[in-house]
Amino acid sequence: MRDVTIGQYYPSNSIVHRADPRFKLVIMLMFLVMVFFCDSFFSFGFLTFFVILTIALSRVPPLKVLKGLKMIIIVVIITTVLMMIFYTDGDGKPLAEWGIFHIYLNGIYASIKLAWRLMLLVLMPTLLTLTSTPTELCDGLESLLSPLKKLRFPVHELALIMSIALRLVPTLIEETDKIMNAQKARGAKFESKNPFKKIKAMLPVLIPLFVSSFRRADDLADAMDSRCYRGAKGRTRMNKLHFHVGDVLAVLLWSAVFVCILFLNYNWLGWEFIAVLGV
Amino acid sequence: MISVQKLSYVYSPKTPFTTQALFDVNMRIEDGDFFGIIGSTGAGKSTLVSHFNALTRVQKNSGTVIVDDMDLSAKKPDLNRLRAKVGMVFQYPEHQLFDDTVEKDVRFGPKNLGASADEQRALAKQAIELVGLDYGAVAERSPFELSGGQKRRVALAGVIAMKPQILILDEPTAGLDPVGKREIMELIVRIKAVCPTVVMISHNMDEIASYCNRIAVMSRGRVIGVFTPRELFGSRELLADCDVKLPLVTEIAARLCDGGAEIAHDILTEDELLDAIEKAVKHA
Repeated sequence: MRDVTIGQYYPSNSIVHRADPRFKLVIMLMFLVMVFFCDSFFSFGFLTFFVILTIALSRVPPLKVLKGLKMIIIVVIITTVLMMIFYTDGDGKPLAEWGIFHIYLNGIYASIKLAWRLMLLVLMPTLLTLTSTPTELCDGLESLLSPLKKLRFPVHELALIMSIALRLVPTLIEETDKIMNAQKARGAKFESKNPFKKIKAMLPVLIPLFVSSFRRADDLADAMDSRCYRGAKGRTRMNKLHFHVGDVLAVLLWSAVFVCILFLNYNWLGWEFIAVLGV
Repeated sequence: MISVQKLSYVYSPKTPFTTQALFDVNMRIEDGDFFGIIGSTGAGKSTLVSHFNALTRVQKNSGTVIVDDMDLSAKKPDLNRLRAKVGMVFQYPEHQLFDDTVEKDVRFGPKNLGASADEQRALAKQAIELVGLDYGAVAERSPFELSGGQKRRVALAGVIAMKPQILILDEPTAGLDPVGKREIMELIVRIKAVCPTVVMISHNMDEIASYCNRIAVMSRGRVIGVFTPRELFGSRELLADCDVKLPLVTEIAARLCDGGAEIAHDILTEDELLDAIEKAVKHA
């Protein structure tokens, strides 16, 4: 149960860790859009360089970051293989063919790009959760969404729900562990291969878990009530978010990367070297 | 018999969160012992006892744990046999109740061990009666309707129904009122008649002093020593070394003794204290 990747914060004191979560979220959003604008191998390589740079700056062991790929590796393999064997290129001649399956050179390129894109899409969010605590992320999100308050959108409540949920994930995991141990001590087996048996075996864990979750929720509501919690109005924060020059620079740098990617993709000015690079 | 040799244990090895919970622990619990384990929070008590029925597996090259003839550091110990032999009652065991009737919940253990339906029913009835509940009145009720103390008894019954030979209790009286605490301790003494070896973790020195025959003191993952109650609570130096508080009755005896009364300072139970005071008064 301990391998759940939410809340996988890796404590360190690097500049990536210290960066303002709001800026990290903005960069993340930009990055996710950017990945979809990448088209040529050169632009992928270009973007990957900056991802590697960020990982290096974060001082998180690269293996920890790569571990984030573990859960999508099967998806990547399946989509890549499907892409490779079903890709149809109107102009080219297939390199190989078996019945409805055929492999084109462009198909190989397209599937490599697809795999690369998927991996980039997972790597950066993994790095984000490794370098920021769930609380930081929630605070950042609340701050970024605060303009929506004007539209009466319950930003604070949403952030509160999220932070409570994230805060309780480790507690729930611990509780699950405890109850599983208690039932194992009574001879319960959770290792069955049969999925139906497995679900049935989980019942003695799930029911106590639900009971204790409700109890915990009740207690938390009482605790908040007794401290006069009345929602967002007039509430101040203990940890105010502050941004530094470095945060602004980072956003500027990533914006520059974004512009470069756009140029590599669209080649608005008709530069020849880009046309050469763009496979 | 449980024999622990050179046992170490590390939580989350090879991560930034690594903490060593046990360092080179050696101890031997004999059949028939009422064995107490004390120590402050984080001393490694729970980690140690969870080795006894292989819920925590012995890590590689980190010592051995032997229960009777089973070596738990072996690759695949016979878990079914082990868990039938070693019953484990966790802190707040009532949080593990799940079934819709008390009887079904108590049958869960025997059922997992492969007992027939008739056997399960007989074992459940026996266990529920042993923990002092009225079988006819509670068997068909939902465990969630019962009071806190009753729930704890049902949870205890769920473990007793497996007929363990060694019972491990992790703070069995935590969160109960004084009457409830006493009832549970008396219940454990009754259980000890059918389950001869009891290992109990507790923070309550009164319980430890009046029920245990041997006490292991733990601190920061190490066992400082294993003593009889009289050795431990009779020696002030030892108590100071181990950072252990006196049981209430021993404290009263010690104060009286300091004040000049003719009372032994290593008194462990209320009855002993009463006798001693009576004698001292008569003498005076």
